[in-house]
Amino acid sequence: MTNNTATGSNGVASDRNDSSFKLKSGLAQMLKGGVIMDVTDAKQVARIAEEAGAVAVMALERVPADIRAEGGVARMSDPGMIKEIQAAVTIPVMAKARIGHFVECQILEALDIDFIDESEVLTPADDAFHVEKSGFKSPFVCGCRNLPEALRRITEGAAMIRTKGEAGTGDVVEAVKHMRQVNHDIARAKAALQEGGDLAIRALAREFECDATLLKETAELGRLPVVNFAAGGVATPADAALMMQLGCDGVFVGSGIFKSGDAAKRAQAIVKATTHFRDAKVLAECSTGLGEAMVGISVSSMRADQKMAGRGW
Amino acid sequence: MSPTIGVLAFQGGVIEHMNSLKKAAASLSKDVTVIEVRSSAELESCDAGLIIPGGESTHLSRAARECGLLEPLREYVKVKRRPVWGTCAGLIMLSEEASAVKQDGQELIGGLDVRVHRNHFGRQNESFVTDLDLDFLRNSSSSSNSSNGGGAAASANESPSSLPFPAMFIRAPVVDKLLTAQAHDAEATPQQDPAQQQLLIKQKKTPPVEVLAVLPGRHASNKAAAAGELGPVSPEGAGDIIALRQGNVFGTSFHPELTDDIRLHVWWLEQIFS
Repeated sequence: MTNNTATGSNGVASDRNDSSFKLKSGLAQMLKGGVIMDVTDAKQVARIAEEAGAVAVMALERVPADIRAEGGVARMSDPGMIKEIQAAVTIPVMAKARIGHFVECQILEALDIDFIDESEVLTPADDAFHVEKSGFKSPFVCGCRNLPEALRRITEGAAMIRTKGEAGTGDVVEAVKHMRQVNHDIARAKAALQEGGDLAIRALAREFECDATLLKETAELGRLPVVNFAAGGVATPADAALMMQLGCDGVFVGSGIFKSGDAAKRAQAIVKATTHFRDAKVLAECSTGLGEAMVGISVSSMRADQKMAGRGW
Repeated sequence: MSPTIGVLAFQGGVIEHMNSLKKAAASLSKDVTVIEVRSSAELESCDAGLIIPGGESTHLSRAARECGLLEPLREYVKVKRRPVWGTCAGLIMLSEEASAVKQDGQELIGGLDVRVHRNHFGRQNESFVTDLDLDFLRNSSSSSNSSNGGGAAASANESPSSLPFPAMFIRAPVVDKLLTAQAHDAEATPQQDPAQQQLLIKQKKTPPVEVLAVLPGRHASNKAAAAGELGPVSPEGAGDIIALRQGNVFGTSFHPELTDDIRLHVWWLEQIFS
């Protein structure tokens, strides 16, 4: 990263206009309207995802539901397994690194990964800092629960945002909560800009603990300045369409597909529902006869320390 | 009703193309309706043209087949011969053949008698931006300066023809093989005997493939772009085909819709309305 830290918020704005960032956010734009699926092995699962019409796959050793059940420290996947998945499919391959673990990110970049997810699903490696993402050639996606958190990640160089939701539960309630909060925060920023101009934006940026220039840009656009996907608890075609109707640009699905009765069929149905998210007739058709959904865990029955969304800031 | 142009809206850079089209239409003072296309009814209403955007071609292909839109799209492109433009994944969909496809193969719309190579440059780390001299833009009003209507606001994002085009290649395909004998370089057209060329077209009943732009010295420029180095690079071979036209079908490997530069959208609209 050549950026001088002394340039402050202006430095951030100009970074996001350079061609390297545009290539990263441009790939995210090409994923819009699509479904990104967690896959745990190359031969079957990754090919099922590609055949079902996934726009990308997330290579990981255990889906979040298993990470949750088995406990222990969850880390970056074995590079050998990532390479196998890269060889098996022609669509972009993403992989997860632990929050703050910049060396896992360096390794993933060396593997030519198409997107790095700095993810709360894995056990955080740093409880104070997220990875400084601008200097990497590989683009990053990061989770958020609200607009300030999203903007902090974009300031660090994230080219794509997703809701955190609550991974591995099959309960969509947290993803909905986080998306509604992002929408609510954006509405507040828009109102602040309209009523009080730059002064009000700076005051709100102080409350939000985020960059004021980026907040103003968000208020002017009326949406996040990068692509924003839903993640964490999507288990049915209707869940996917719900998140799209709330304003998400696309959907991540993990345990929801491969912890269900008929993974291939459900994967295809969720892709179709994401494409035709406003057409209730198509949604009815693709929700029919999918077999058993993921059993899941109700988030309201969980203790705070069992939730992954609280990891990171 | 104003002429309607559609953007195939299954997935990918849909809104970006719609915005660029609207800006381009405004700069030409043309009244154009721009719609999203997901059904055959919507496709039918696109009397003026269709854009197939970038995205994942594997998904576009599957989605088109699932909604029964693959045949209507083929008819739109090859029988009705309405103007169609594909960028990146859209170029793949409009090619007759594709290599480096997924294991079970992939259905295409076709229309361009070429073979396209998917993910030609490799993975995302090999994606790059490079400045291209697009000669075919030279005669377009998109390239004239702001004195030619449009007003100061509309022309703020326009660039004169002398400026190169900032082309973004994101996991991009290139055309690596022409499948028709009538292929020729657009620049070489004047030297050919027009009568003979007309005869050839009649015999084949398909218009020739025009190569509109190649990526000169692709290996060198790719590495230079990757290293952030600008400046002259020495050409290596003829270069990869990255923009081409065959009759009503236009294709580009790169993404004009991801930039503020609307010259290519203006040019395409001019071809439609000329």
